[in-house]
Amino acid sequence: MIELKDLTKRFGDFTAVDHLNLTIRTGEFLGLLGQNGAGKTTTISMMSTVLLPSEGRILMDGVPLTRKASREKRRLSVITQEYSMRQDMTMSEAMEYQGRLYYLSRKEIRQKTQELFAFTGLTDFKHRTVRHLSGGMKRKLMICRALMTEPEILLLDEPTAGMDAISRRQMWNLLRRLHSQKLTILLTTHYMEEAQYLCDRVALMEKGKLDIVDTPGHLIEELGSFAVDIPAEDTLQSRYFADRDAAIAFLSQAGKEAVLRNTNLEDVFVERIGRGIG
Amino acid sequence: MGIITVLWEKWTEFKRDFYKITMAAMVSPLMYLVIFGLGIQTTSHGEPYLNFLIPGLVAMSTMTGSFSAVAQNMSVQRLYEKALDQIMVSPTPLWQFILGQIIGGSLRGMYAGGIILLLTMPIRTGLVFNGLSFFIMFLNGTVFSTIALVLSFLAKSYTDAPRYTSYIIMPMSFLCNTFFSTDQIPGGFRQAVALLPLSQASGMIRSIAMGVPEGILPGCMLLLAYLLVFSLIAVGFIYRKKTL
Repeated sequence: MIELKDLTKRFGDFTAVDHLNLTIRTGEFLGLLGQNGAGKTTTISMMSTVLLPSEGRILMDGVPLTRKASREKRRLSVITQEYSMRQDMTMSEAMEYQGRLYYLSRKEIRQKTQELFAFTGLTDFKHRTVRHLSGGMKRKLMICRALMTEPEILLLDEPTAGMDAISRRQMWNLLRRLHSQKLTILLTTHYMEEAQYLCDRVALMEKGKLDIVDTPGHLIEELGSFAVDIPAEDTLQSRYFADRDAAIAFLSQAGKEAVLRNTNLEDVFVERIGRGIG
Repeated sequence: MGIITVLWEKWTEFKRDFYKITMAAMVSPLMYLVIFGLGIQTTSHGEPYLNFLIPGLVAMSTMTGSFSAVAQNMSVQRLYEKALDQIMVSPTPLWQFILGQIIGGSLRGMYAGGIILLLTMPIRTGLVFNGLSFFIMFLNGTVFSTIALVLSFLAKSYTDAPRYTSYIIMPMSFLCNTFFSTDQIPGGFRQAVALLPLSQASGMIRSIAMGVPEGILPGCMLLLAYLLVFSLIAVGFIYRKKTL
């Protein structure tokens, strides 16, 4: 279990994360959602000890996670939003470097590199320098690197950003498979359908503060499981209904361009976080 | 273990960029040798000027080799590639990472110094370079690797590394006992310059080379003091700096 207790990060006068209290249960898949600048990446950076909190602390099974906590860090792997790796190394060297940093034997490094490259289709490019890889390949390499150390906890900061639809689906399948192996996963994403599809619970952040934590299903239910979209001249308005019959009744009066559909997590996000958007 | 990992990383970098590293280490000292040693032939303290110059160039190359190996690399890793994040997240103790950088940087400095020795080998100078000379070269390299680490943690942009070279390394190269003795600098400033690590390293390597070792113990103690102070700052930064 990971506990974030009153976690705060300030950069000068700007508070990026403001007294965040959040618990990630063992084996849970938690999504951290929010607009740009909501504090998601800062939170992940503090959890990976790249940034130190201005206030508050992070506990892993009750043990404070600090830069000195080697045993706790051994259990973590992080896939950052940026391609945080040596650009002048080959893919094999990048994997060996990671393995060495986690005290794996050379035999283990070789074996796991082979397996992971085969799994992600990178085998043919193993001697290619990181600098010369496409964005998608770099992302795959970061996944290989993170999984090589067999972590118990995986922190993913927008892992599918910039991926094409097929690669994204492959990533989703991989994450679901990892989750089924009881891996604890924290995911930040801008894609609401991704969070809805993958996460057991989602935490919505706004301006560094936690808005709500709940299951996607319950959040949707609270808003109303049925949505009627009413296109106006330059906006799209939606009304939400708990009851399908009530939604249909409203639809019949709303004009022929109105559409009935199931409510999704994006609706929840827009209603809660995007209130007041044009 | 973490130290070995960093040394392995430095070794892969060295193998990959062997020609670039070697050329960079050779060009400017070679120019100095040709211009000041062979072109403008003169004497210093009754000895050929080359005998004065070579030990200074060895110390200077050790400094520049170590400094650039760490400063450039770390600034790029921290600010551009974000590869330092990989280290921060990993279970490798960060002090071992620092120590690996210091040793690795120093070895690169020794390589640069060794190139000068190889280049000047055909010239009959009668200079002596022994185990103690190499120890001082190593020590000098560790000091400048550590300074480079501290500066790379302070850098705001990865283009700061060349600026540090212009503001720190270049003036030291010219002032600190490389091309002329610090005795010739006006009083007050002379004492300050003489206390700088390169002045000490040059002086010690030169005195050993001339066959009259002097000031070795206080010189080494001073270099060790620099090493200790900057190492503590570097370790303090990596463990305590809120935003790396």
